[in-house]
Amino acid sequence: MTDARNEWVGFSPRRVWMIAVNTLTESVRQKVYLIMILFALVLISSASFFSQFGFGETGGQEALEQLKFIKDFCLGAISVFGMLIAIVGTAQLIPNELENRTIYTILSKPVRRFEFLLGKYAGSALLVLVSVVMMSVMFGAALKFKGDNYLKVTQQSVGQAQDAGTMEEAVRQMQKIRAAVYDPDLVKALLLTFVKLALLAAITLLVSTFSTSMVFNVAVALLIFFAGHLVGPAKEKWAESGAARFLLTLIPDLSVFNVADDVILGNAIPWLYVAKVVVYGAVYLVCVIAAAHFVFADREI
Amino acid sequence: MMDAIRTENLTKKYNLGWGRGRLLALDGLNLRVCEGEVYGLLGPNGSGKSTTLKLILDLVWPTSGAAWIFDVPCNKVVSRLHVGFLPENPYFYKYLTGAETLEFYGRLCGLSGAALRKRVDELLEMVGLARARDRRLAGYSKGMLQRIGLAQALVHDPKLLLLDEPTAGVDPIGSKDIRDLILRLKGMGKTVLLSSHLLAQVQDVCDRIGVLNLGKMILEGEVSQLVSDQQRLSFTVQGLPESGRAAVESAVAAAGGVVVSVEHPQTTLETLFLEALRKDKRGAGEHD
Repeated sequence: MTDARNEWVGFSPRRVWMIAVNTLTESVRQKVYLIMILFALVLISSASFFSQFGFGETGGQEALEQLKFIKDFCLGAISVFGMLIAIVGTAQLIPNELENRTIYTILSKPVRRFEFLLGKYAGSALLVLVSVVMMSVMFGAALKFKGDNYLKVTQQSVGQAQDAGTMEEAVRQMQKIRAAVYDPDLVKALLLTFVKLALLAAITLLVSTFSTSMVFNVAVALLIFFAGHLVGPAKEKWAESGAARFLLTLIPDLSVFNVADDVILGNAIPWLYVAKVVVYGAVYLVCVIAAAHFVFADREI
Repeated sequence: MMDAIRTENLTKKYNLGWGRGRLLALDGLNLRVCEGEVYGLLGPNGSGKSTTLKLILDLVWPTSGAAWIFDVPCNKVVSRLHVGFLPENPYFYKYLTGAETLEFYGRLCGLSGAALRKRVDELLEMVGLARARDRRLAGYSKGMLQRIGLAQALVHDPKLLLLDEPTAGVDPIGSKDIRDLILRLKGMGKTVLLSSHLLAQVQDVCDRIGVLNLGKMILEGEVSQLVSDQQRLSFTVQGLPESGRAAVESAVAAAGGVVVSVEHPQTTLETLFLEALRKDKRGAGEHD
């Protein structure tokens, strides 16, 4: 007979993964997220129809403006819906586990509390990742659709060009449109959006480790989300006060993840900046998960 | 023989918060559950039954005292290797099917592949949910949830089972099924600690019981000894004519005994109910 006194249960990434997959399955099967994602997809795909195809004599600039509008609109939509999914998807995890008593059945098995917490978080981060990827693909498709349309029209104007000057102008225009559609900085913006949402999900999880109410979790997470976007300006304003600066470092500066405006204006975003911000997000994330672990390890269920 | 569960002076006080003091939920419990027995923890609501189970499973922590599972301190994760737990009124993951639920818990316990599939099939068969295996738990009845709960507690074939109110809220047939299952598990050599306030139901399955009230153990012993009345004797006789009754009574009196009561034995309502359902040709209850 096996004797538990001589056995050992270590940390198991496999169990974390099982809990993550189960969390994701549970979320996906709750129709609320599907509807949310579906709505976002419809909104994003319709961005290219919001404006009429106006392309006159001087219309070259307008095409670029339209593409800018699509980028602005879609990046905004991804950020907002991603935020909703990250907060609502995470805020209900632990309250639901308690309400359905599933937390008892899991923690009464040889499962470590940290594995449970990490699995729940990973499941939520996966949900955010899947949502962001789906919305990004739709965004890319909408952008390409609109861009291809403009290219086709410009192509025609090249054919009809009377003189070399107009032709050159049209070719340059086509290059600009291509550059606007296949802009690698869009990937950077989407990556940073995901890191921001993953961090937001972790913060929501931390809040839910010491409360039992989902409404409270959502409210506090939203508050931190908005506060996070005001930290940058606040730091500048209270630069002299050490105490204020310390308090402000407790809230992550979420505005550093927002590079959408620069992408839209065509300002280059160096990879070094992206790397720095990703590391900033990762360090914050580890700290938040660690804090959540300390609270949860000490919580009676 | 090793104790399956042992507690020493196990005490739990809950903080009520905001200066309202502390609630004494469990007061110096010394419990021993031997390997292979079915032990019933009885008591009214709020007497400390669930708290005891949660303390043993390290879901809450003792204010003082300690508990061991198979001689391993309860605060070690390894103590739960051989324990299965059915919480009170479980709901589980509504969006999973019966089979998926068991697969999930099986994987958590390290099962995989063919061994996992075989175990899931076995368990669904054992708890009578084979036909409902692909239905989501959102559509399960209370009795079915309780049975899937038992199945998940058994998924890793533990030596010890902790069942919190296993028959509460379940209809008489479901309750009978669960009790039969507990007896089968006992036959397989498992140790069972169950809590209940449904006394009649516990009587059939438990070897020993302990009664908790306000966090204190007020009575403990073997069921057969506790309920049998050593001072009295009862005969159940069939085919005795009315004239014979006087003769029996005088014979009792002649031997120095006293006839306390003479009555027609009554069946229990539960037996009557189960019998009626058994006779119904359409089958009994929902069952899947």
